[in-house]
Amino acid sequence: MLKNYIKIAFRNLWKKKGYSALNIFGLAIGITCASLILLWVEDEMSFDTIVTDQELVYSVPTNQKYDGQVRTFFQATPGPLAAALKTEIPEITKAARLRNRDFLFTVNSSSISSAGSYADPDIFDLFDLKFIEGNATDAFKMKESIVITKEVAQILFENPTNILGKVIRINQQDNFQITGVVENLPVNTTYSFNWLVPFENFTYDKPWTQEYGSNFTETFVKLSPDADFNSVNEKVKHILPAKTGDEDTKAILHKAADWHLRSDFKDGEVVGGRVEYVRLFSFIALIILVIACINFMNLATARSEKRANEVGVRKTLGSDKQQLIFQFITEALMTAIFAAVLSVLVLILIIPAFNALIDKQLALGLTIPSHLLSLLAITLTCGIFAGLYPAFYLSSFKPIDVLKGNRIQSKGAGFIRKGLVITQFVISIVFIISTLLVYQQVQHVKNRDLGLDKDNLIEIPANGDLIKNRKAIAEGLKNTGMITGLGLSNSNILSAGNNGSGLRWQGGSSTEDILVSYRYINEEYFKTAGIELIEGRGFSPVVVNDSSHVIITESFAQLMGTGSALGKTIDRYGDMYTVIGVTNDYLYGDMYGTSDPVMFYNYPPEAQYMYLKTNPKYATTEVLRSIESTLKEYNPGYPFEYRFVDDAFDARFKSEQLIGNLSRIFALLAILISCLGLFGLSAYTAEQRRKEIGVRKVLGSTVAGIVGLLSRDFIVLVLVALLIAVPLAWYLMYSWLQGFAYRISINMWVFVFAGFVAIGIALLTVSFQAVKAAIANPVKSLRTE
Amino acid sequence: MIKITDLEKYYATEEVRTIALNKLSFQVQEGEFVAVMGPSGCGKSTLLNILGLLDDPDGGSFIFNGIEVAGFNERKRADLRKHNIGFVFQSFNLIDELTVFENVELPLIYTGVKPAERKKRVDEVLEKMQIMHRRKHFPQQLSGGQQQRVAVARAVVNNPKLILADEPTGNLDSSNGNEVMDLLTELNEAGTTIIMVTHSEHDAKYSHRIIRMLDGQKVTENILSEYKSKTLEV
Repeated sequence: MLKNYIKIAFRNLWKKKGYSALNIFGLAIGITCASLILLWVEDEMSFDTIVTDQELVYSVPTNQKYDGQVRTFFQATPGPLAAALKTEIPEITKAARLRNRDFLFTVNSSSISSAGSYADPDIFDLFDLKFIEGNATDAFKMKESIVITKEVAQILFENPTNILGKVIRINQQDNFQITGVVENLPVNTTYSFNWLVPFENFTYDKPWTQEYGSNFTETFVKLSPDADFNSVNEKVKHILPAKTGDEDTKAILHKAADWHLRSDFKDGEVVGGRVEYVRLFSFIALIILVIACINFMNLATARSEKRANEVGVRKTLGSDKQQLIFQFITEALMTAIFAAVLSVLVLILIIPAFNALIDKQLALGLTIPSHLLSLLAITLTCGIFAGLYPAFYLSSFKPIDVLKGNRIQSKGAGFIRKGLVITQFVISIVFIISTLLVYQQVQHVKNRDLGLDKDNLIEIPANGDLIKNRKAIAEGLKNTGMITGLGLSNSNILSAGNNGSGLRWQGGSSTEDILVSYRYINEEYFKTAGIELIEGRGFSPVVVNDSSHVIITESFAQLMGTGSALGKTIDRYGDMYTVIGVTNDYLYGDMYGTSDPVMFYNYPPEAQYMYLKTNPKYATTEVLRSIESTLKEYNPGYPFEYRFVDDAFDARFKSEQLIGNLSRIFALLAILISCLGLFGLSAYTAEQRRKEIGVRKVLGSTVAGIVGLLSRDFIVLVLVALLIAVPLAWYLMYSWLQGFAYRISINMWVFVFAGFVAIGIALLTVSFQAVKAAIANPVKSLRTE
Repeated sequence: MIKITDLEKYYATEEVRTIALNKLSFQVQEGEFVAVMGPSGCGKSTLLNILGLLDDPDGGSFIFNGIEVAGFNERKRADLRKHNIGFVFQSFNLIDELTVFENVELPLIYTGVKPAERKKRVDEVLEKMQIMHRRKHFPQQLSGGQQQRVAVARAVVNNPKLILADEPTGNLDSSNGNEVMDLLTELNEAGTTIIMVTHSEHDAKYSHRIIRMLDGQKVTENILSEYKSKTLEV
């Protein structure tokens, strides 16, 4: 029996090639989309698998209260916290600190720059690092020891085996001995590093790291398996206030399983994060599959007349309803299987492009059981879901009706078909509107007045002798005419961090507790970064002249009360500073929010970054070559590393860009699938109404009149869809935009535009068939009726 | 074999109720060949549909092989139908996507006959209908007469007790039509009961008895040849 079904299904598919192609193509797009999204979701869910005990390992962010608001900070725990947690809370069995750093490694004559961390030995256990050489117990026994990943070993050594005891020169000054080689960390790791050195290499010359006053490191802990999370978390919360007497800063636990997907905090609690995008896109995958299935249903029921006779004959010959349902579902399944095969081919072709678009390394592995099973599940679900309604509909025909040649006219089926078309277009229009608004929002923020000039600005890590030789470098580069400014700062220009509170100032109330960012800069920083001095003067090239002077941003000046802030004094833990200048506010940290006030000091030795303003008259490659040769001269041994600040700025919008890109693709595909469906439906309608069209033409109707007649019904459906989609899209996008402090307001023209696009596309699709029917010779259609 | 008494069937649209069968009664004995005639709309096809268990009467009694089948649900009707009744239609109603062999095989599949047995029986019947050489062709590749022979083959492959033929020669030229009528006569002589709806006086003459209908009622009945020893009564 099954053989018979498959045979007839295959012959049906073959006989109606156009119809089958529409169905297979539509379903294939749906399956491809869903597969891409599932691959992305799988990737997002596969983060931090390096931590085996996901429920036992936690990072320790801090909740800090400023101006009545609790804000959560990562990499912001004091040095002694890790040890205190381990000794004072019995349920905590391991604790380790981690602080990132870039090192220049030199072995023999070759050098590489590599990102890694200062770490405590418990980190080996917390992150389940697999030692290829050496072991966790002995790795950090001496201070100048280093554990590297296999990858670093392969880069540094021609023969990367048996390298324990070999020496790596770091930053051209210290020799570290390799005490361990570990397996590479997976790409999907939140806290990633290429090497680890004992933490005391960071702290030994910094007494402030031994105290509770400064928050500068990430802390990780592991709980014993029987520990009660809530009670441990309470204990953790109490530990900092107990040490510092400051009730406004509390450490909390953030579980490993949440690091990647749930890392957005509000009022000190996890509120979500990327998981929302994972959910959103999973839902979109489902929606795209649904509209692809709708096509199948619509086309199958629309051409039911063609199949009715067969149903009648089969029933007359003894088939019962179940057998027919089974037969039609078999046909739908076969279509779905063909679609799946096509989709796999398409996936293989487009995954590289998709990877480029979303900046991931996804791969379809048909030998991976989870991928194969998912594909199978999608295919079967699609086949059954798409086949179910047509199967029930077709199998319910009464043989006497169809065999007598009575027209199968079911009002119910027509109604459902219209409903399905409306559903498809509602989804398509919502996609169009969302795409437009996401794009607008990203552009809106990107075009925001940042208060600084990110163009033609190059950022270079200020390592080695760069700071010492800054004046010579500046002079050398300016002489070429390619560089107009050299700025230095202790902090990345676009990032938050390096901040503190507890400042007091003249006229300020003592209860005010504002988080202020500290920037240690040189005299050319403002000019280089395009930050404007709106009052007072800038820093002197002679650092000591400004040792007790600061420059502040406008928002800070406003906090200090009315009147000019110039000459007022600020008390930072007993050190008094006089304000000599005020700059405009500029944006850093959260690109959608407002930035904290900034206090600038004239102290270049603290700088971590050098900024060079390039002259746009010169070609970028030429400028870079010139910078490289100058830096090589004054800072030999270090590779030339740089990035453009405007690229870094763009990278801040990765999530939004991703959403934008994906929603654009899905909008296109949703419309494409819907149009395939509409195309098929209009073809059948035109065919069904051939006689009517013939009669109308004989009676004098014009081609335009007929096209209008045939198109009108479909356009009405699209209009209904528009009415439903507009409020829906408005609500969805309004909710999405609420997540951004700096956001667009939704403009009516977006809806009007989307409406025109939808109607335009629908009209194009339908009119193709309508025109074909309208210009056909009426004699032919009347004769064949 | 068949006894219908006061059979009624209505068709109702929103405004009009049409009576298709109006208290129709007659009997058909096993092995008989009966022709039903009458103008278009007299209820012939409705009658055939009810006799073929494709439709349910609105009133009256229908006894098939001693069982009252009026009021049977679709499943029961389908079951009874597939084991006892074969159909021959004016428009052949072959499935275009299946070959001659597969079309004829279909009723056997639905009655659960094993593949080896199916092949044997289909081959036999195709041989008998002299279309064995066309077994791998699709219906569109055959002439009308050949298609109707396939349809007859399909109707008899299950050895039904009753064949219902709805204008079996309506779409055929006279020589092909005669062939089909000869085929039906042969089947009848071999013991199969046949009820045939027709417009053709010529075809009707092949039967033992002609029932003429008008407006859903029987008007006359002509006995053309005595059928064995059984008495015909109305």
